[in-house]
Amino acid sequence: MQLGAQKIYIKEAYLAEIACTHCNLKFDESVMITEEQNNKKLFFCCKGCQGVYHLLESEGLDTFYDKLGDTPLQPATQSTDDLGKFDLEGFKNKYITTYEDGLCEINLIIEGIHCSACVWLNEKVLHKTDGIIEASINYTNNKARVIWDPEEIKLSKIIETIRSIGYNAYPYDPTLQEERANKTKKEYYSRILVGVFGTMNIMWIAIAHYAGYFTGMQQGFKDILNVAEFILATPVLFYSGWIFFRGAYYGFKNHIVNMDTLVSSGAVSAYIYSIYAMVTQRGEVYFDSVVMIITFVLVGKYLEVLSKKHAVDTLDGIMGSTPTEVTTLKEGIKSLVSVENVKVGDIIELKPGEKVVIDGVVTSGQGSFDESSLTGENEPVYKQKGDEILSGSICLDSVVHYEASKDASHSLLTSIVNLLEESITKKPHIEQLANTISGYFSSIILIIALLTFAGWYLWNGNFEMALIVGISVIVIACPCALGLATPMATLVGISIAAKRGILFKEATFLETMAKSNLLALDKTGTITEGKPSVVKSELFEGFDPALLLALVNTSNHPVSKGIASYLQKTYDVLDPLPLEEIKSIEAKGIEARYQGGKLLGGNTALLKASGIQIDDSSENSLFFFAIDNRLVARFELTDTIRNGAKEAITQIQALGIKVVMLTGDHEQSALKVARAVGIDDVHAKLLPQEKSSLIKTFQGNGDVVVMVGDGINDAIALASSNIAIAMGQGADVAINVSDVVLLDEKPQSIYEAYKISRRTFRAVKENLGFSLLYNVIAVPLAVMGFVNPLIAALSMSLSSLVVVGNSMRIKMLKFKDENEKGIKKQ
Amino acid sequence: MSENVVILMLAVSTFLGALGLIALLWGVKTGQFDDQSKFIDAARYDNEEDLRDAAMMDKKKKEHERKKKKEHERKKNYMPAD
Repeated sequence: MQLGAQKIYIKEAYLAEIACTHCNLKFDESVMITEEQNNKKLFFCCKGCQGVYHLLESEGLDTFYDKLGDTPLQPATQSTDDLGKFDLEGFKNKYITTYEDGLCEINLIIEGIHCSACVWLNEKVLHKTDGIIEASINYTNNKARVIWDPEEIKLSKIIETIRSIGYNAYPYDPTLQEERANKTKKEYYSRILVGVFGTMNIMWIAIAHYAGYFTGMQQGFKDILNVAEFILATPVLFYSGWIFFRGAYYGFKNHIVNMDTLVSSGAVSAYIYSIYAMVTQRGEVYFDSVVMIITFVLVGKYLEVLSKKHAVDTLDGIMGSTPTEVTTLKEGIKSLVSVENVKVGDIIELKPGEKVVIDGVVTSGQGSFDESSLTGENEPVYKQKGDEILSGSICLDSVVHYEASKDASHSLLTSIVNLLEESITKKPHIEQLANTISGYFSSIILIIALLTFAGWYLWNGNFEMALIVGISVIVIACPCALGLATPMATLVGISIAAKRGILFKEATFLETMAKSNLLALDKTGTITEGKPSVVKSELFEGFDPALLLALVNTSNHPVSKGIASYLQKTYDVLDPLPLEEIKSIEAKGIEARYQGGKLLGGNTALLKASGIQIDDSSENSLFFFAIDNRLVARFELTDTIRNGAKEAITQIQALGIKVVMLTGDHEQSALKVARAVGIDDVHAKLLPQEKSSLIKTFQGNGDVVVMVGDGINDAIALASSNIAIAMGQGADVAINVSDVVLLDEKPQSIYEAYKISRRTFRAVKENLGFSLLYNVIAVPLAVMGFVNPLIAALSMSLSSLVVVGNSMRIKMLKFKDENEKGIKKQ
Repeated sequence: MSENVVILMLAVSTFLGALGLIALLWGVKTGQFDDQSKFIDAARYDNEEDLRDAAMMDKKKKEHERKKKKEHERKKNYMPAD
């Protein structure tokens, strides 16, 4: 949201060169508020910025600007008067924790933070406020924890303080998911620290060990080194490795042999063998391999935990921005009622800019609603008496009364958030190849080891000898190459993808994507650009581009923005003109005066109302421009299809993948786009949860679904798909629930993502095949009792090198466009 | 080199390392590593002023505690006339 606002400002300021003293955004000098202070000229873009600057200066906090450098901020907005809601009872019960000693605590999300200087400023100001006992802001996710004394200061005052310096704050409930996610993260952190500490120290002791093995070492020194390694390895195995024991135990309970079983059985048997070797002073110890396996696999698991936490952060954002109270009308009396207490049939009043939290039907008034978070379409929807309002949409321009048709917990917005929460935690799981193979592998190795022990014992009757050989089978089969097979290949795959602007958030997604056979695409913002642009223009006598630009710049409507960007592209430099009496006409257009002349810009209805004859036959959106009731320009706008979309979709279909389109838009425009890019299967007019249930239907049919989307309306569908791909400029929620992000937003990148993942998966299979082959050779040797530490060390590192080398081959993957260039060069 | 020297070296160096490890684990437990960006970003603004700020917050907290205590005592000493 904040980023969007910034972009608009920067775009409109294409001529301008002077930066606002507070927010650093650049504007033309003529439109800025200038002020002289100590022989220094100050410029401000708005009253808000000016106010904040002087406030900070008087508080002695103006060093903020040195810290800020030239990072642009969001311009400070004048505060709205909804502060009362923070002191209401319903709000208090939901978000505030009260301690025994009378102190209160709340968790807030601070909006508008761009850099660390902003965090510094907020903390500083909160610390200086009387009555605030503790305030800390997280630099990573901009969440704040504030403890205050309610006898000295009210919460509304605290929020007001934050707003007064140009930021906004809203509450969230951390008990939802955050606390749990944080706890797991900390647990992993501690276990990894112990693991890394143990591994590093055992490594340098092991160097002495190996040196001694080749050059000869007295048994006395060897014993010392063995004991030292034993002491270091024990906490690593039992503390850091606890997670694998737990996993293996759950697997055992459910009769599944998994990677955890292999890791824990390998580590434990090597550990026991090493203790045996240490006590009997015979053979070599393997404490170093014990800690290495545990630590490396643990770090991989930790990365998964990290990516889950990010999704949780944005969920809190959605919930926090929804109002907790609404204004209801009962027998002409207005009252604030907590959202939970609103019953079906209550009349609710909506003011401009308010977010709808309860579904209903309009009873009086009319206005435009922004439904982009539900349908993905940026164009506001006009609603009047009898029309249905859905929660999650935003009332843009007028006061509307409506009757609640559902209560809060059944309204669309709440069910979307609940669904999203559920989808994140219950993402469909595709069994990873390495996991399946290692399952079989570890059962077979364990059986072979047992048979070896039994065989040797029966054959020569020496229990000790039989035990050593049996354990050496497990040690040599230790999943070194097998464990490296997947991570090495996926690491290379991910780095190639990242170089091409495709970010895979987790390594395992490559494999899932390679197995996918169905691609679901969102329309607006994914196949198309998501904003209308001019496709046809007709200019008549008397047209002045500078005048039109000035007119459309007064509106934030997507059509106006489309016209503005077209004018800026077509005409080099346009001087800004001062307009007067600017009026925006609801859902129709804009009216203004310039030097006595009447300017009119808008759709068919607006011009017909003024009695102007126009040609309104077109399947695209139309925009007319009239001066003094005489038509001077006519534009046709449409949402253009992204460059290369058709080619990319054809290529993807050639890979044998079925492509479908899911959209919240009307059937007609959906079909038009689908035909243009070559998609046969189209599902139109879908609400967010319908998209998601459709994806679940596909999955029920056995398809592995990749979903590409960009908006809040796609979030649930993204979360429930097997692989979710988001556009880099899409909504924060969409990006956060996604597994893959396309930075350059090119449809071609989807095809490349498919190619890279399939190539990587092939390498994974090759690696697994090789490491199995290695075991087929090495294990029989171990069974026959030929294994000594020298052979073990050599074969283990050789097998790992082969796996690494094979994975590097992924880098030779060629893409079509590069091939063509290569041919031309030759 | 006698065996005792090797034992001593191993023991001392591992012990020193373990001290560092314990300090890190304590840091994780008390939430000092919850915020990754703070390591890099907050260090830039770390100066005397922030120290004074922290001292001020501490004072505020103590004041509140003292106030509560006083109130508590007043309540305790309050005897309803019967």
